[in-house]
Amino acid sequence: MAGRRAALKAIDWTAFAERVPPNQRTMFNNLKTRSDAIAAKLTSLPEKPPAIDWSYYRSVVAKAGMVDEFEKKFSALKVPEPVDTQTAIINAQEEEANKTATAYIEASKARIAQYEKQLEKFKNMIAFDQMTIEDLNDTFPETKLDKEKHPYWPHKPIADL
Amino acid sequence: MLSRLVFVSGIVVHASRCLHTSSQSLAPVPPLPEKGGKVRHGFIPEELFQLLYPKTGVTGPYMLGAGLLLYMLSKEIYVINHETFAAASIGAVIIYGVKKFGPSVGAFADKLNEEKVAKAQEVKDVAMSSLVQATEDEKKEQWRVEGRAMLFDAKRNNVAMLLETNYRERLHMVTNEVKRRLDYQIALQDLNRRLEQEHMINWVEKSVISSITPQQEKESIAKCITDLKVLAKATQAKATA
Repeated sequence: MAGRRAALKAIDWTAFAERVPPNQRTMFNNLKTRSDAIAAKLTSLPEKPPAIDWSYYRSVVAKAGMVDEFEKKFSALKVPEPVDTQTAIINAQEEEANKTATAYIEASKARIAQYEKQLEKFKNMIAFDQMTIEDLNDTFPETKLDKEKHPYWPHKPIADL
Repeated sequence: MLSRLVFVSGIVVHASRCLHTSSQSLAPVPPLPEKGGKVRHGFIPEELFQLLYPKTGVTGPYMLGAGLLLYMLSKEIYVINHETFAAASIGAVIIYGVKKFGPSVGAFADKLNEEKVAKAQEVKDVAMSSLVQATEDEKKEQWRVEGRAMLFDAKRNNVAMLLETNYRERLHMVTNEVKRRLDYQIALQDLNRRLEQEHMINWVEKSVISSITPQQEKESIAKCITDLKVLAKATQAKATA
């Protein structure tokens, strides 16, 4: 009985629920209901079936040897354990998920670095009332008037005024 | 001519506004001062009064001005003609206009500028707060990702539970089947026994009934009648007594 009773890890469903993003909440709820149903079914079954009272049967059944034969065969019987096909698949899924997760975390960190850089730029900016137009064009390149494309004042399409 | 005077005095006294004598740019350029140089009566710089104060006191520059004016008039260096009156009237109107409407126009222009600056400031604030918020959200998402192990634990648990349930069901099934077989044997035995008993009883009854001869029947009926009569007498006696 070595493969049986792989230890059931205690799952903290509340902590799990906190980490679920709102757009995956229905999937999480479905998983939870299914898990609860399976757990309920498991607890409803007693671990061992009730033992057969062989002495009673031996005294009642008239046919000689039948009960003894049954008893012998019954105790010799080994119920095969069901084969576990899914755990390997789940482990493979977990590996993949770990890979995508690390990739996502890397991308997320890059994004955070970008945001931090922009935040630094904003923090180190000179105050608006101390700026000249050149300073403004340096800090916000999009405000620079394109004097080649629109050589005449106001150096931008009239619609943008 | 007066502007040259201002220019000269500017260089002498305003040392803080430095000339661009070297090619290096002193950035950030210090901002322009808020107000211009102080002037008295609108066009005479204060520095002249300060310059003459040690030598001639408070009234010195005024005496200088009055003297210069009288000298120019009396020597006819400046000739009074019709242009003088035109200049005087125009000057009066201009001075009146500026004194009356100057502050409000200035305030209006300042307000325009203020609005521009405030708008830019608002854009900057919104951008900064959104960046901070974005950073927070990214960190939260990273925290969420850390919980992915729980999902797979839940899945493995489910699989283990299903296997366990299946195994227990199999055990139960085996026991129940064996019990059923044994119970069947017992029931079969009981049925056989009951059938035998009933058959025996029926057979015994039938043989007894068939063995009763008509003679015996008449005798038993007569005995029953006499018994009944005796019983009737007994009950009558009991009823009357």
